[in-house]
Amino acid sequence: MTVSPVGRDIDRIDGRAKVTGAARYSADYPASNPAVQPAHAYLVTSTIARGSITAMDTVAAQNAPGVIQVYSPFNRLGLRAVPGAGENYAPLEDTQIRFRGQIIAMVVAERSEQARDAARLVRTSYDEQPPRLSLADEPRVPATGPPGVPAPSSTVLAPGVPSIEAALAASAVVVEASFHQPMQHPVAMEPHSVLAEWNSDQTQLTLHSGAQLPHTSAMVAAMRLGVAPAAVRLIAPYVGGGFGSRVFPWFDAALAAAAARQLNRPVMLVLAREQVFTVVGHRSAVDQRITLGASRDGVLNAVRHVSDAAVPFVGYRWMQPAVDTSAVLYKIPNVEFDQRHVMLDVPPTCAMRAPNEAPGAFALETAMDELAVATGLDPVALRLRNYATVAPGTDRGWSSKHLDDCYRIGARRFGWSARRATPRSRVDGQWLVGMGMASAIYPGGRRPEPIQARIQLRDDDTALVSSATADTGTGATTLLAITGAHGLGIPLRRVSSEAGDTALPQGAPSVGSTAAASTVPAVEAAVTAVVAALIQEAVTNPQSPWHGTDSGDLTYVNGQLRGAGRAMPFGRLLTTIGRRSVEATATAQPGPEVAGYHFHSFGAHFCEVRVNRHTGEPRVTRFTTVVDAGRIVNAQAARSQLVGGVIFGIGHALLEDNPLELDTGRLAAGNLADYMVPVNADIPDIDIHFLDRPDPVVNNLGARGLGELGTVGSAAAVGNAIYNATGKRIRDLPITLDKLL
Amino acid sequence: MRAYTFTQPRAVREAVTQAGTDTAFLAGGTTLVDLMKLDVMTPARVVDINRLPLRGIKLDRDGLHIGALERMSDVAADRNVRRDYPMIAQALQLSASAQLRNMASIGGNLLQRTRCGYFRDVSTPCNKREPGTGCAALTGINRTHAILGTSDACVATHPSDLAVALVALGTHVHLVSGRGTRTVPLDGFYALPGSTPDVENVLRPGELITGITVPRSMWAANSVYLKIRDRQSYEFALTSAAVAIEWRGRTIRSARIAAGGVGTKPWRLPAVERALTGRPATPDVFESAVRTAADGARPLPHNGFKPALLRRTLVRALTVLAESR
Ligand SMILES: Cc1cc2nc3c(=O)[nH]c(=O)nc-3n(C[C@H](O)[C@H](O)[C@H](O)COP(=O)(O)OP(=O)(O)OC[C@H]3O[C@@H](n4cnc5c(N)ncnc54)[C@H](O)[C@@H]3O)c2cc1C
Ligand code: SF4
Repeated sequence: MTVSPVGRDIDRIDGRAKVTGAARYSADYPASNPAVQPAHAYLVTSTIARGSITAMDTVAAQNAPGVIQVYSPFNRLGLRAVPGAGENYAPLEDTQIRFRGQIIAMVVAERSEQARDAARLVRTSYDEQPPRLSLADEPRVPATGPPGVPAPSSTVLAPGVPSIEAALAASAVVVEASFHQPMQHPVAMEPHSVLAEWNSDQTQLTLHSGAQLPHTSAMVAAMRLGVAPAAVRLIAPYVGGGFGSRVFPWFDAALAAAAARQLNRPVMLVLAREQVFTVVGHRSAVDQRITLGASRDGVLNAVRHVSDAAVPFVGYRWMQPAVDTSAVLYKIPNVEFDQRHVMLDVPPTCAMRAPNEAPGAFALETAMDELAVATGLDPVALRLRNYATVAPGTDRGWSSKHLDDCYRIGARRFGWSARRATPRSRVDGQWLVGMGMASAIYPGGRRPEPIQARIQLRDDDTALVSSATADTGTGATTLLAITGAHGLGIPLRRVSSEAGDTALPQGAPSVGSTAAASTVPAVEAAVTAVVAALIQEAVTNPQSPWHGTDSGDLTYVNGQLRGAGRAMPFGRLLTTIGRRSVEATATAQPGPEVAGYHFHSFGAHFCEVRVNRHTGEPRVTRFTTVVDAGRIVNAQAARSQLVGGVIFGIGHALLEDNPLELDTGRLAAGNLADYMVPVNADIPDIDIHFLDRPDPVVNNLGARGLGELGTVGSAAAVGNAIYNATGKRIRDLPITLDKLL
Repeated sequence: MRAYTFTQPRAVREAVTQAGTDTAFLAGGTTLVDLMKLDVMTPARVVDINRLPLRGIKLDRDGLHIGALERMSDVAADRNVRRDYPMIAQALQLSASAQLRNMASIGGNLLQRTRCGYFRDVSTPCNKREPGTGCAALTGINRTHAILGTSDACVATHPSDLAVALVALGTHVHLVSGRGTRTVPLDGFYALPGSTPDVENVLRPGELITGITVPRSMWAANSVYLKIRDRQSYEFALTSAAVAIEWRGRTIRSARIAAGGVGTKPWRLPAVERALTGRPATPDVFESAVRTAADGARPLPHNGFKPALLRRTLVRALTVLAESR
């Protein structure tokens, strides 16, 4: 009897390749023909934020050693803008400057150092216009989002309540607070890089370029290049981090491919780290205001959530921080949110990990802590008192929700009862000690579109599971193997898997925490399909001992076919009939069974912070997160996701910031020393506990998504603990020591 | 490719002969190579000094002698340094990362360049990088910049942690050039920016640091280096304090104090030292002694917190030292 790997601590199947350096990331690929070395490209970016290029002197660069070509608006590559898929313009096609750090030229040379040095020789003259950069001062765009984006403003009122103002006025306790969160960058470890290579008659393009949606990235690159989507294959089984920075492709892939087409030679382009900060998207800065109205004993009556998020003129992402937070987290009869936008001349934005929910939950869950103070309730009790079983204004409930247990179990594991409600009541030597908590919520359901997977059974009794999902370090490739082994009932060591290649069946995109929940049913469907194909072979192949048997008499159990008084492992059957393998591809898509439900994953964060009495540094010393994400497929990978998510939240709370110069549009940080994310020394042991209760609706395994959940609410838990330690409520992120002096 | 000549001399005399204007010595390369890649430093000649015999960590009657090429990690781990000069080991230990400390040398550390973001970005004006172009930091983002010793031309901090500890302890630097050898006090080695922020020290073109001597003292063994920053590792100081005290019973007989993260060079605080001399180690004494620490400070729009943080950093360091006595 084979033990299913589902739910156990499973090492990544590609872990060895990663730690030994054998794993190939995009810039590690050699050209397919060793005789033709790739040319190397380097970008030149704008040094003003708005205006136009009046002249560009590329003579010195063109004449520098090793330089093959200098592309610019005056020597164009002919890329096309693809509205709705990333930024709304195409670089090098016009002289307009839309933000500081925009691509304005690309030097291609024999070696990367030659390209880099020549790029420095390009001289650009501009006609400069005053950039629009102030989130506080530029006009608010009323609540209309781009087409296809859900309504950015909405009001739900209880019967007889005329307005949200009336609901707030009728509330005994009102808490109102304003929050600011600066620009944040995904800063994935692997800088965006691409190797672009055409076949000899330039009908087929191969891109090695990390992508969270391999098929979409290939398609967008094709559209930008003006070729058929089928002409582009993207291969990137290893991706050095996504966090939203590889959802839509930036212009690196198309630029390299266009140059490769013109030069008839493979081209490699690796962004310099400082370029990653402007060529690649960030999470926009956002101001939020939350007003909560409640009864004296903490029963919520109304919430108003107003946000002003920066939206770049170049696109592409419009932040909506209330949608999956204030709109659904609590039982509140009156809800209003107004998610406004402020158009700015800043670099593009992207859907950075928990794109709306991380800032939204920081605001809401901090305001809830303030309400706990105002009502004298314990923060956990306050949340349980306002527990939602249906979304406000609807009778729509959740497929499965055990957030109440997350609060209770978390409080117990963490030792919450030792907390003293009065700030500054615990001191340990030089350190003020505080505890805080917050809720986590994030969509956890499946992708609406069809997702495919393929399984091949081989004559050596092994199986290969393939699906072009992306493994951005999440463990998606391992998940394919685990689900395959589980479905086939064979040991994990006999299953291999592959992802991140558009030649494979189209898999689940690695976005929105949907990949696992969407991949699992596709693999299950592929198991069913390949077993059917195996049985079909068994009854139709003349060499088969079951030749002529009714297929209904055969069953597949744990790697064996059984029936008509005999049993045989699939490998032996395949050997017997002289087949190397049998395979099948299947598609899964959610059906009517999911209608009428909300699908969210939930969690409760608890943390302890110490703040130095003299110098104000906040240090996180304990952290517990209890998670309800349905059934856990790989406990180890799931824990990594949650730990990583919480670290993200600690970074948001305490460190991450990239100040923008309001007169020049220059970002202060362009490297990983100045753009600060936590280091090991900032992170205590993080205690993650999964309820591990299968979701009866989402898929057969009962597994929901959890990749972004840890990032939601964790910053608020830190801020709330800082308040408990110091009595200071900091609503302006990051909470640095100067704000606590 | 930007070309430069590259030599690897084996003798000091050879090295200084090869050096001249427009030369950079290469030690660990953790500052130099970084800045060459950014086009901030563009030497015509690079002289790799790693084969020179500038090694050794020796303790004798005169004090502690450290060769310019000793690596930060080795000095931090040295038993004598840890026992007799704990603030030196601590300042090193709290610098950069383990990988960098394994590469970086003591001489290079003292000559590392400022971390001002504008200095490192050739698309912005910077008087230190390109004299006469202006100072972008004055109107730009200046949270980490200096408040003491600044001028209208430059407000960049000196970034070295080690230099702060060494200045507090009265360290001397040994130099050699074609014109012979000389020894200068480290405090006087660094220059204030004034109107020439590109001149950072008294080194002559092609002059080489061969080593340093930290004198023996009654206070070095009772010393601490406290570094305050947003994250707990791998970051430069917002403020730092190097404090050494010579005790007589519970009384401070004398003190040596310098601060980092606040000055355009490692910042000695003689007035604070005087205010502590002969006083008991109590919180009140500490509070009143540091009152003048930031006198003369010129805070910038984003670093107005630094004077208060400096005073608090000093009090905390004094408290730590008093408690550990
Ligand atoms: C990410 C990062 C973080 C860091 N964090 C810190 C920190 O927290 N605290 C801190 O103090 N430092 C920090 N540093 C700076 C680091 O300590 C210095 O880069 C290092 O000490 C320089 O030593 P090096 O031997 O590598 O010098 P090099 O880079 O080789 O040289 C630096 C300069 O000194 C000159 N030079 C070197 N040796 C001599 C000599 N003997 N005589 C004359 N000239 C010489 C070179 O020509 C060059 O101009 C950090 C550096 C980095 C990259
Ligand atoms: S502070 Fe100094 S180093 Fe920084 S920009 Fe101004 S002149 Fe340059």
